[in-house]
Amino acid sequence: MAAADTILKLDNVMKIYILGGRKNAKKAQKAIQKLQKQYEKLSSKGQNAPAAAVAKTLRQAQLLFAQEKYEASYRAVTGKGLKVRRRDRGAVVHALNGVSLDIKAGDLMAVMGPSGSGKSTLLNMLGQLDQPTAGQIFLKSQNVALIKRRHLPEIRSKELGFVFQAFNLVPTLTALENVMLPLKYSGIHLGQRRQMAKDALVQVGLSDRLNHRSNELSGGQQQRVAIARSVVNSPSIVFGDELTGELDTKMTADVMGLVKKLNRQGQTFVIVTHNPEVAKVCRRIIYMKDGRIEKELKK
Amino acid sequence: MFRRKTRTALTVFGITIGIFAFTVMGSMAEKINLLVSGGTKYYADKVTVSGSDSLFISAPLDIHKKPQIEKVDGVSAVSASVYTSLSEKFDAISFGPPASIVGGERAIEEKYETFKITYSAGRALKDDDNGKVTVGSDLVKKLSAKVGSTVKVRGQNYEVVGVMNKTLTAPDNTVVMALADAQKIYFGELPEIVRASSNPETVVNGFTVYVKSGVDPNQLAEKINKEVPDIVANGPKAFQDQIANATGIFNAILFGVALISLIVGGLSVINTMTMSISERTREIGIKKAIGAKTRHIMSEYLTEAALIGLFGGLLGWGLGALTVLVINSATEESGNVIFLLSARISIFAICFAVILGVIAGFYPAYHAVKINIVKAIREQ
Repeated sequence: MAAADTILKLDNVMKIYILGGRKNAKKAQKAIQKLQKQYEKLSSKGQNAPAAAVAKTLRQAQLLFAQEKYEASYRAVTGKGLKVRRRDRGAVVHALNGVSLDIKAGDLMAVMGPSGSGKSTLLNMLGQLDQPTAGQIFLKSQNVALIKRRHLPEIRSKELGFVFQAFNLVPTLTALENVMLPLKYSGIHLGQRRQMAKDALVQVGLSDRLNHRSNELSGGQQQRVAIARSVVNSPSIVFGDELTGELDTKMTADVMGLVKKLNRQGQTFVIVTHNPEVAKVCRRIIYMKDGRIEKELKK
Repeated sequence: MFRRKTRTALTVFGITIGIFAFTVMGSMAEKINLLVSGGTKYYADKVTVSGSDSLFISAPLDIHKKPQIEKVDGVSAVSASVYTSLSEKFDAISFGPPASIVGGERAIEEKYETFKITYSAGRALKDDDNGKVTVGSDLVKKLSAKVGSTVKVRGQNYEVVGVMNKTLTAPDNTVVMALADAQKIYFGELPEIVRASSNPETVVNGFTVYVKSGVDPNQLAEKINKEVPDIVANGPKAFQDQIANATGIFNAILFGVALISLIVGGLSVINTMTMSISERTREIGIKKAIGAKTRHIMSEYLTEAALIGLFGGLLGWGLGALTVLVINSATEESGNVIFLLSARISIFAICFAVILGVIAGFYPAYHAVKINIVKAIREQ
């Protein structure tokens, strides 16, 4: 009985370790090794029944570990049971009501739904701009809750990119300087960040607009600068919140063409949109309603 | 800060006024402090004897008092002196000691005086240099003095044999002549009734008493007062009591100006920075969203506040320095230099402005750091 308890405990601990993300991988490995030793000890003593039970757990753990390790390498962002509760004029509003989703590296995902369905809230949570009331977020399999708050800006500058509806460029800076900003916050030295920003602007087709300020650029060009700024650090994922909301049809097609091109090069995108034309470009579409994922379409 | 040029300029101007006042008042206090510290140094090791309670304006004395003073235990040497105003009318409005004529026994002074004066041209005066003078640096322009030239003092011509180096205290404003020459001038300005009972060859209005080593000059002054009748002897403490303490008022004024500039300048910086941050809430949100750390946001706004302080400081200091320069050159002719713009006042004024800007900018910058990203980005 005592041996069975130990096995059960080890099993649970291992599950926690294995599913706890990359940071706990070493602990999981140690637990597996411990299980291995226990099995050998029981076998050498001729206690076949408990040894067989341990062997079964060991096989399950090894399988789980291998599977988790493999999947983790393909996971960009994972949300588990995300809940956001807010008070609005005295009433409690459930902006997110237990949302779980897995965004894999290389995904091009659209999040659709009516106003107030929780699309932008979900984006803000996954993008570490806000904290959920409950649930966990894993960024490249690392539990974000375990990351100290003071390190979040670094995560945002290196691992996450944002493109907003209103372009949100710093008006006093040129296109090049705007794109250099996240690199500056990442601590990259001036010469390198200038080159990286230039390359990003060339990639979005604005090599001739490097020194233009936002008021000297069209809406489409401003959004291209914003996209260049979001991808310049090669982040794990780029979040776009209604990124074509202020653009006409031609410019929307133009910007989404760019998004598709960058996605083909491996960049992960999650785009909140009302526009079915934008969603059409994406390979995964999730529909949200009342703070829940209502359905998901995969192409 | 360059987006709202008028607002920034007004804030800079607020600091400019404060630092301008600080620079001018500080330069005035600096000059006073230097005069006082020079005086303190001069009077530190000696006793001055006069015919009345005042340290500077004395009733006439007879040189025959000198042997009586010399007899007092603790006295090393005594030098008779005459001290009077350079102009015939005593300057009613003067900054620091008025331009003066000083006559003394040079040989004794040269031997015992610890406050040494050096000469930029020529030499020191000797006892037998009748009809000759040495001139303090602040009076060179006023008297058009140079070594070998003749200057007119109280209607008489004197040959200039030396020009003193700047001491930043009383001697800068002094014409030194032989005791006999000074006695003649002093005798001439005495009222008729006093003249009748005085002798131009024996009249003086002060003695400088040099103290033997190890003797406290304040105690010696008391002893002289007890042992020699009809004179008033003062030790260094009297100078402290009469003059040095008055500098406290100037220092208080300076502190007041600094405090006003701190409040006015500081409030205007806080106002400008708070307005600036509330206008840029969205921009701050964006910067935070793309990875700006606390130190990035803080340093951006503190640098801005420090620059406002620096511009205001430089402008205020520049205007103050110009004012000091103009007034000093205007009053230099009369030998009455009012301001001394020292390096420490200049450095302090500018550093003060920058630190003021940074301190005042701290609250708005901290407010910027605390901005909620999601709310900031939504703001129109």
